[in-house]
Parts: sequence; structure tokens; C-alpha cells
Amino acid sequence: MTTEIHDLPAESAVHTSESLTVWLVDRIAVYLRRSPGEIDPTVPLAEYGLDSVAALSLCGDVEEDFDLVLEPTVAWDYPTVEALAAHLLEDLAGEVGRR
Amino acid sequence: MLSETVDPARPATAATGQEQEARARVAELEARFGDPYDPANPMGQHQLLAADEAGEISAAGEAVLDGLNLNADFVPRALGGRLDRLDTLVRVMRQVFRRDVTLGLGYGATTFMAAVNVWTTGDAGQQRRLAEVLLANRKAAVAYHELAHGNDFVRNEFAATPDGAGGFRLNGSKQVINNAGRADVLTLFSRTSDAPGSRSHSVLMVERELLDQARVEVLPRYSSVGVRGCHLAGLSFTDCPVPGSALVGELGQGVELALRSFQMTRSAVPGMAMGAADTALRTVVRFALGRQLYKRSVMDIPHARETLSAAFLDLLISDSLSLTATRAVHLLPEETSVYASAVKYLVPRMLNDAMHDLSIVLGARFYVREGEFGVFQKHVRDLPVLSLGHAGSAACQATIIPQLPRLARRAWFSGDPAPDTLFRPGDDLPELPFGRLTLASGRDGLSASLVAAVDQLPSGTPVELSVHGAALRFMDELRQLQEDALSLSPQDRTALASPASFALADRYAVLLAAASVIGVWRQARGGEDSFLADPSWAAAALHRLGRRLGMRQPDLPDGCEERVREEVLRRFHDRRSYDLYDSPLAG
Ligand SMILES: Cc1cc2nc3c(=O)[nH]c(=O)nc-3n(C[C@H](O)[C@H](O)[C@H](O)COP(=O)(O)OP(=O)(O)OC[C@H]3O[C@@H](n4cnc5c(N)ncnc54)[C@H](O)[C@@H]3O)c2cc1C
Repeated sequence: MTTEIHDLPAESAVHTSESLTVWLVDRIAVYLRRSPGEIDPTVPLAEYGLDSVAALSLCGDVEEDFDLVLEPTVAWDYPTVEALAAHLLEDLAGEVGRR
Repeated sequence: MLSETVDPARPATAATGQEQEARARVAELEARFGDPYDPANPMGQHQLLAADEAGEISAAGEAVLDGLNLNADFVPRALGGRLDRLDTLVRVMRQVFRRDVTLGLGYGATTFMAAVNVWTTGDAGQQRRLAEVLLANRKAAVAYHELAHGNDFVRNEFAATPDGAGGFRLNGSKQVINNAGRADVLTLFSRTSDAPGSRSHSVLMVERELLDQARVEVLPRYSSVGVRGCHLAGLSFTDCPVPGSALVGELGQGVELALRSFQMTRSAVPGMAMGAADTALRTVVRFALGRQLYKRSVMDIPHARETLSAAFLDLLISDSLSLTATRAVHLLPEETSVYASAVKYLVPRMLNDAMHDLSIVLGARFYVREGEFGVFQKHVRDLPVLSLGHAGSAACQATIIPQLPRLARRAWFSGDPAPDTLFRPGDDLPELPFGRLTLASGRDGLSASLVAAVDQLPSGTPVELSVHGAALRFMDELRQLQEDALSLSPQDRTALASPASFALADRYAVLLAAASVIGVWRQARGGEDSFLADPSWAAAALHRLGRRLGMRQPDLPDGCEERVREEVLRRFHDRRSYDLYDSPLAG
């Protein structure tokens, strides 16, 4: 089973809450072996069965694709796609500001 | 004996101070434990076997440990105890496990596992109180797991519900908890929020005598295959109030606290339990020397002889990995998460495998529960508890897996090597940095040391060349691992990862063990321990690890195996420990 992951290069001009949500939903769907349509951005990921280990992996994926360094526990503290997307947006804005 | 080495003022030459103190403490324990073959000795095999047969932890043995105030070894020095180094604690506890795993776990390691949570994030009052209780020879229990959820403890249900007035109400049960019925302090991993996820649990420290006794019940004891004397029972609470001051650290930080504390206990406990495998090897050497077959001793049968050497090598490998992981807690606390899981995964496995091989040499006597060799079957039954309790093997691999791609991307072949002192058992260490342990790391100094060693290892003699060749093969292995880790699909980085991901975690753990062996040998070169300084053991140990990975490798040079074999016999006859320390033993 392979699900296509939308590529979103780190340097792409603007990240929006929508683009990040799409990216997160796609990635999480892969982890959970579900289709992206089943993932509601407002439902806590743990409710879908995303374990704490996968939450750490997700953090690694974000780092890889967005060239960010995150606390490994970020997905515990922002437990829904919506919350995570908002948090990432903030972090990315901070990064751009620093450049 | 202690007075000549323990100087409370800690002289300026502290470098030897810690080491002197550690040696003195080990010697003190060993002197008190006495002759293992004396039937009248409470710390001897005869009586400890009898206690096991009776399903009881030896009361006389516990009295000996009380007399030594062993609990002080679990209490940080700043709080009045003796704990300043994790590798020293391993060494001290190994003496206890050498005699009896039940005492090691039931008297010792369990209390340590409970206490570490409080040393990591407890407040000053909690730390002071726990130190006081432990120094008075009383016990703490660590009530983390629930049968219903096993390693998946993020779903644990035992609840500490905030009561709105700053306190909590406890409801639910914990099962298979060591000393549940007799510990004075309980650390309880409890659900403090109904929300799913990793921020819904907290750790509480409660004192049994302060609880409303009508609301706590100790559930019936479990009987177990090994550590039969351990008091494994459950605890059940019904709407039991506890004050807010019981909370250890912050509300909702329980999972994080557990994963951080576990790094210390996972690094340390397997090395402690090595003591049991040492005794098992010693027992089989004794048998092999005494037993006559085909007009020669079993020791003269090449297969038997090789099995004994191999077990010794496994102990040296295990100790090298255990040494670097415990010292890494002090020196590289940001990197400890993977090392601790590698130790907890690989060491119990290697020791259990070694026990199995040794049992073949012992033959039918392996099945006999009493007499001179009866202790062997007890250790065979007791040791597996090591891989079952406190995070199973697969759960440890699962901790490593998601970190592999990150390490592959950021660390391997680019980071700085670990400092030399990581590999030097006699060197002083800074204090335990309880606050600096992190859940995942992007660095790996231990692997970097392996890569650095390739350019620095000597290659003058055939044996040195053999070590160097092995280092090269393991470096290639790291490169292969990097490639494989980078191509892991996202699904393969979760708990549902394919078996192939688990195999990667296995290869990585073996590689860390190889890096540890190389590091320990390099740092021992030219030192006072002529066996550790000799490349023979390192070459043979690396050969064994290479075989574990199915590597194609040349035969060992002449003399290597002979050197290891001689050492097995020397340590048996001289009564010295089968580990990196070559410590004198009472028997
Ligand atoms: C003698 C003894 C003493 C104990 N003392 C205590 C104590 O004092 N305090 C305490 O809290 N607990 C204690 N326990 C409980 C014990 O530590 C836990 O039950 C244990 O760690 C969880 O293991 P489980 O066998 O229930 O595993 P489960 O989680 O049920 O696992 C079963 C199997 O599923 C697979 N699996 C599980 N998780 C994963 C994963 N993440 N990835 C891949 N595969 C996985 C593995 O194959 C595993 O073996 C004790 C247990 C024993 C035997």
C-alpha cells in the first residue's frame, strides 16, 4: 500500500495553514494506514491510535521536510492537525523572520 | 577497610577518589556476602536456593543488605546517599545479582526504578523525604504498568482525578508490581486527564501509611517462573484521597518523566543483572573442570571450551555497552535515549543466549534443582525477567526505530566522536544531569567514535590488524544502516513498523556494542590491566558481534582465542569477576 505524499519543499514561498494541514493529514494518514479523508483536523491524533512513537516520527518528518528543529514532544503538546498546523506556521514564520 | 579510601573531604585528586570508593564499596559487599559455597551463609547458594524453592525472598539476605545500607547506593550524595555515578551503581548491584536475582530486583533495582522518577523531577521536599525513607532501609515500589495495556502505557487507566481542591482521588488498579504489598513509598503512574495522548498522565509519590487504609487493597500475589521470591502483587484503590503535594513534577508530564527516567534505569539494570550470568559461567567452568569424560575433563572438549570463552566474550561485550551507556548518561545526556534502549534490548538478549549455550555444556545437571549446580537453573529462570520487565525487547527496538532516520540524516559520518573518557571505567564523572535527558537526539557520539577509530587504530600485529579490519566492516555496516534508515517508509517508523525496521534496530544495537568494545580497548591500551590492554579480547569480541550480524569475516589470528580461554581459567582459579573490572570475589 502506498499513498502519495504531496511534496512541499522547504523553500516554497509561502506556507499557509491550509497547505500545512494538507501535508500533515497526508503524512498522518500514512502512519495510520487510513485515507486522508478520514482524518478530521480537529480530532486528537491519539484518538485515531497514533502512538507516542509515531508522534516522535512525525516530528522528524516535519524537521526533514521543513528544515526546522522541533521539540520531540511537539505532537504531544499540539495534539490535533489543526493545532499542529498553527504551531508550525508560527515556527516557520519565526524562521523566515530570522533569515 | 573503608577508612583508608573513603575521605569525606574528597581530596583534590578526585580522579582516583571515585574509583577508590567504588572498589572499596564492591569489596565491602563481597566481604560481607562471604563464601558462596558455605551452606551456613545466608548469601550463599545453598540458602538462596532454598529461599527460592520456598517462593520467598531471603529474609536473612535482606538483613545482610540492610546491614550494608544498600539503599544508600540509590540515593544521590547531595541527599545523604552514595549515588554519584550510574556505572558505579551497576558495579555495586552486580555483586548482589551475582548471588541472587530476586534480591537484586526485589531488594534493590525496583526501589531504584521508583526513586529515579523523584530524583529526576521531584521537588526538594519529596526528594528529602524519599531519601530519608530509603536511608532507613525501607522500600519504594514503582507502579507503572497495567496488565491491560502492557508496554502501551500511554493508554493506562489507573486514575488520579484532580479533586478541585488541589488534591487527587485515586481509583483503579495496578498489577504485577514488585513489593506492592510491602513498600513504604509508591510511585504511581496515573491518568490525570481523560484526553487521549501523551499529556494525560502524571506521576504521584505517596506514602502508604498516610493513605486511608480502607481505600487501598493489596491484591493477591502472582507466582512467577523466575524471581520466585519477589513479592509481585497488585494494588487497588477506591476513591482514595491524596494531597496535591504528591504530584511529582508537573501535571501531565508523566509520560515524558517516565521516558526520561527510564533512560537511566534501562541503561543501568541490564549491567547489574550481568552478575547472574557471571555466576552461571563460573558454575559451568567449575563443572567442566571437574567432570571426567572420555578420559579427559569436559574442559578439554573443544566445543565446550569454546562455549565458555564465548560466554565470557558476551559478558565483556555486554559490559562495554553497559559502561558506555551509563557513562553517556553523565557525559552525553542528550544522546542517551537510543543508547539506553540499545542496552535494554541487546544485553538481556545476549545474556539469555549465553545462558542457553552454557546449559548445553552443563548437560543434564542443568535440569537439577539442588546441589552444587542447582544455582544454574535458578539463574536461567531468573534472568529472562530482565527482558520482560520494564519495557520489553520489542518496545525498546520501537523506541530506537523512529530515531534512526533522524540520526542517519543528521549525525552519522558527520558528528563529533564521544570523549575518550566515555570508555574509561576508572575516570571520574560529573554529577548525574537529571534535567538534561531528552526524548530524542540528533547526535550519536558513540558511532562517531567508531568511524574516528578507523583512522586511529594501530595495525602493527596480526591481532591489531584483526581489530582494525573489524572496525572497517562495522563502519561499512553503519553506512549500510544509514542508507536503509533513510529509505524507511513513514509506516515503518511507528509501532506498527515492519519486521525489517526491527532488524535495523537490532543491527544498530550490535553496532553500538562494537563501537563500545573498540573504545574500551583503545582506552585500555598501555593501561594497568594487561588483559584489557591486549587486543585479543577485542578482536574475539568483534568477531562474535560480526557473526551475530552474519558478516563475512576472516578467521581470528592465532593466539586470540587461546588468550581469552586462559583468562577464563585464570579468573576462575583466582576468583575474579567475568567483566571489565576483574574484581576480586569471595568465591
Ligand atoms: C517479574 C516481573 C516484575 C514486574 N514488576 C513490575 C513493577 O514493579 N512495576 C511495574 O510497573 N511493572 C512491573 N512488571 C510489569 C512489566 O514490566 C510490564 O508488564 C511489561 O513491561 C509490559 O510487558 P507486557 O509483557 O505486558 O507486554 P505487552 O505490551 O503486552 O507486549 C506483548 C508483546 O507485544 C509486542 N509489543 C508490545 N509493544 C510493542 C511495540 N511498541 N513495538 C513492537 N512490538 C510491541 C511485543 O512482542 C511484546 O512482547 C513486572 C513484570 C514482571 C514479569
